Amino acid sequence: MIRESQDVIVKTLARLLVPFIVIYALYVVMHGHHSPGGGFQGGVILAASFVLLAISQGLDKIRQRLSEKTAGILSSLGVLIYAGIGLLCLLLGGKYLDYGKLSKLLPVEPAQARSLGILGVEIGVALAVMAVMCLIVFTIFSFDEDSGGDE
Amino acid sequence: MNIFFLIIGMGMCALVLLCLYRVTFGPNVLNRAAGLSAVGTKTLIILLLMGVIYDRVEMFVDISMVYALLNFLGTLVLAKYIKQSGEVECQL
Repeated sequence: MIRESQDVIVKTLARLLVPFIVIYALYVVMHGHHSPGGGFQGGVILAASFVLLAISQGLDKIRQRLSEKTAGILSSLGVLIYAGIGLLCLLLGGKYLDYGKLSKLLPVEPAQARSLGILGVEIGVALAVMAVMCLIVFTIFSFDEDSGGDE
Repeated sequence: MNIFFLIIGMGMCALVLLCLYRVTFGPNVLNRAAGLSAVGTKTLIILLLMGVIYDRVEMFVDISMVYALLNFLGTLVLAKYIKQSGEVECQL
């Protein structure tokens, strides 16, 4: 069980660093198609911000913000966004994940619709990866709670 | 100019090897953790030098920022684990 850190350095650093980490993760997700990164990497960086919060504030406070149930719902939502965009392209007469066909729904050119479509898919991937990473880390952190061992 | 950065990169690799010695044969788990953190910091510099050599700094800056972040976080988690496992006497 991870308790709240007593160290003022760790607490202050986490409080200062977490907003920048989240903004950087969003940058990695948004610029996935013309720089290294993408949905998976952005999701992992988002999960890293939650790990930093869990270390500095204690696991209980973070569980109030993002419970296991919410994380499960978020991961399913990410997969739904991914598969939903793919199926939408299928319904509009293209192949699975053929983003060019999205221009029938959106008021943009097919080339721009491709860019927007892959952005939507990457947001879905980032949500799913963030939720699953947080679930894994929280489960590892709270391991000795379940087994009843001493801390 | 590339030769200059190449030589600096090779020097950094030699320093990584020295830190790796401390990680492998460190007498204490705290020595190993500190050595691991130093290796991560030097890897970051080597990544940036690679970016300068290959003329793609803007790409390698992104990678090295993620590396710096995860290295810091990893050291923090390791320190927390060492403290809670009670293997080492921590005076806090």
